Amino acid sequence: MKSVAGKVIFAALSVLYPALVFCGLVFWDISPRRLSLLLIGLAFVLFFNTTQGRRNAAGGAGTVQGNGAATAGGEGAANSLKDYALVVLMLACGGVSFFADSLLFLEFYPVLVSLSLLAFFGISLWKKPSFAFRMACLGDRRVATSPERAFVERYCDRVTLAWCGFFVFNATVATFTVFVGDSRIWSLYNGLISYILIGLFFAIEWTIRKMMQKKMHSYIPVCALERDSRPSDMVVCFDGDSVRTWADFTDDVSKVRRYLEARENTPWIIHCEDSYYFMVGLLAMLQGGRKALVTANRQEAFIKEIQKPGYGFLTDEPFAGATLIQDVLKDTESDGRWNTFDKNSAAMVMYTSGTTGEPKMVPKMFCQFENELFELVKVFGDGWVNRKVYSTVNHHHIYGLLFTVLLPTATGLPYRRHRIDYPSELVSLSGEAAVIASSPAYLKRLAADAEQPIPFKTTPIIYSSGGPLPEEVARKCEGITGYWTTEIYGSTETGGIAYRQSKNGPIWKPFEVCKMSIGENDCLNVKSSYILEPEGFTTGDLVEIYDDGRFLLKGRADSIVKIEEKRISLPEVEARLKQTGLVQDVRVVPMVGKRQYLAAAIVLNAEGRDKFKDQPKLEINNFFKAHLAQYLENTVTPKKWRYMEELPQDTQGKIKMRDIQAMFNLPESKNFKILKMHREPGALSLKLVFPADSDFYDGHFPAFKLLPAIAQVDMVAVFAHALLETPRAVQKIQRTKFSYPVLPDAVTNLEMTYKAESNKVLFTYTNEAGRMLSTGTLLMQAAT
Amino acid sequence: MSDLNQKIKEVIIKALELEDITPADIVDNAPLFGEGENSLGLDSIDALELGIAIKENFGVSFSVVNEETKKHFASVNALAAYISANSPS
Repeated sequence: MKSVAGKVIFAALSVLYPALVFCGLVFWDISPRRLSLLLIGLAFVLFFNTTQGRRNAAGGAGTVQGNGAATAGGEGAANSLKDYALVVLMLACGGVSFFADSLLFLEFYPVLVSLSLLAFFGISLWKKPSFAFRMACLGDRRVATSPERAFVERYCDRVTLAWCGFFVFNATVATFTVFVGDSRIWSLYNGLISYILIGLFFAIEWTIRKMMQKKMHSYIPVCALERDSRPSDMVVCFDGDSVRTWADFTDDVSKVRRYLEARENTPWIIHCEDSYYFMVGLLAMLQGGRKALVTANRQEAFIKEIQKPGYGFLTDEPFAGATLIQDVLKDTESDGRWNTFDKNSAAMVMYTSGTTGEPKMVPKMFCQFENELFELVKVFGDGWVNRKVYSTVNHHHIYGLLFTVLLPTATGLPYRRHRIDYPSELVSLSGEAAVIASSPAYLKRLAADAEQPIPFKTTPIIYSSGGPLPEEVARKCEGITGYWTTEIYGSTETGGIAYRQSKNGPIWKPFEVCKMSIGENDCLNVKSSYILEPEGFTTGDLVEIYDDGRFLLKGRADSIVKIEEKRISLPEVEARLKQTGLVQDVRVVPMVGKRQYLAAAIVLNAEGRDKFKDQPKLEINNFFKAHLAQYLENTVTPKKWRYMEELPQDTQGKIKMRDIQAMFNLPESKNFKILKMHREPGALSLKLVFPADSDFYDGHFPAFKLLPAIAQVDMVAVFAHALLETPRAVQKIQRTKFSYPVLPDAVTNLEMTYKAESNKVLFTYTNEAGRMLSTGTLLMQAAT
Repeated sequence: MSDLNQKIKEVIIKALELEDITPADIVDNAPLFGEGENSLGLDSIDALELGIAIKENFGVSFSVVNEETKKHFASVNALAAYISANSPS
């Protein structure tokens, strides 16, 4: 306590010193000799304070200094040294004044104070954190642990530096006033103007700070959002001209929550195509302590599989037995409830999209998402301020969930309720400042479709995740949008691991919290604040890690296969095929039949299409085989080939080995060509051609060839069996309608879904213009 | 002769599950294995399969694998000659 009193006395006397000296001289008629006792007294107070401070520090009671901020040991010593130096100088000035009875040295005190403050601020810049940043942390404790820390710290360092500049100036002017020899000028400057300048400095800095804060995002963890965290008229999301505000959002969350809490169900499955409904439903579940199972797949068979007894299902599209969120919002009164929740106990479940295997359930705690959000805001947040968030991806998968709904919610940015589906839609965003969460599937289409650059007023920020984005696609997209797509590498299990922009090469920079190492089978192992397992997670990706922690991905571990005892890397074969300059996209997959072999699915580029125009398929196969023969043994040369418009993929655009293998299990036939294939569990969409020389037309109106109805039905059964794993034989053809003919060589789309519980296949053939050609239902023979 | 060649070609395509190739695409005197003009580009695993298929379809077996047998696999013509010479019938 004594030391606090000492500090207060010292500070008060230091501030009033110029006034006291002036009054002493002019009004009270005190001699400089007597006045010098004031300075000597001040020196003793400072000496006492400094020794007291050091003793406290040595006693281990915390290194709390006069300024009240915690300081490092080395810096404390530096400051003590500074204070002792000041004491000595003060005593010297006081001593000279006393013995010479001279005013000159008495007037040096303000100079000494300025120099001392200069030293103090300077030392804090040298031994960080700077004084201004310490003050900022004292003012708002969240600063030190917030993702904006680096931003704030940079700003505070500059403020500290500016103070140093001010003290240099002040000390110079104060010295000057000493030598002018007029104690009125001296006291006017040091006792008044100097203080006004300090006040002015504060005011200017405050104004600048407010301006800077406008440029900062207002990140609040989703679990810590309060009802009044945002202005009630803040736009949460938009769709065309209609918007939902923060007030609407909090109201809707409380409605859904009230509904959920009135139900017995504890875990809830959630699938809402509309991002807003999704976020309302999810937050209601999290705040209400309901476990949320987030599924992108809403096929009946899949929902049935995951909906255990007592599980609810909340969705925004009619579904038998499910709760429609629109009904809940319409029929429930808001009770205004809203609360923060414990991120460590809020449980969720995600499902992998199954790039390499069957879809897998991945349990998650909400803290994992929060920790990742924190990291994402830290790395990317500065660029997002005052932008709107758009998405081309599904928010039921981890990347979409984080980037398109959780991030906007945590940072208060408006998001669009519906996905951008077509590349052509991007043009309509040219007037907006946008953040676009996208994927290689979308960007590839954009690169292929866009004919000219889109005149964005503000260059958009584009992210891509879900698979590697080829460098040439990133380059083309840069030409179209002006932005080099930032790719995020991660998985459902690990969350985001690293990021890159291909303009800087193929090397990935990990997020700061991610610790990389090489795990089993030379695969990348990651530990991070959002992976709960202490041993981290080992991915299926082969990796080379550099000393600085950055890394290069070298393909998937399962991309090394053995074909008849010969080891071969699938990416190597793919790279060799691309080397021809004729291939836009290619996947090589291992197949097992009578023997093991490789099969290649190829999308030719413009040069390739031109080169092989009208050539028989065998010629194309032989061209690629001859090319590969230069590098590979013929045992590992692909034996089967498919040339398509697009590689088989799911509706997310994910290319999966098992989809391609399924296609190759369907033997090549002259009766049909598959140009595109989209497969999901229980659903299949094919772009097909039935060539004029197919067997189907034999004997059937030779003058006017059309695909016989029975052939249409049989093709459905063939595809359903091979690609949807249905029984092969048809028991009964139901509700079938053939409206328009399927013509030879005409592009025809075939959509089908398989309902396992009723064992029915529903199909529709449409032509390229979207006209329905035929439709029907096949009841399949029960599997034996 | 050409009937036998045709039959051999069909056996090759069926046994090795070759795609995109019709008997007409296989040149009678072109190599079946390795590289070269019009070669079918078969590999050593195919050779084993083909040996079995020839035995099943024509009743001719290759008991010893040596330089000599390799010659018989050189082309469709070579195979046809070997089968005609060794056919049990």
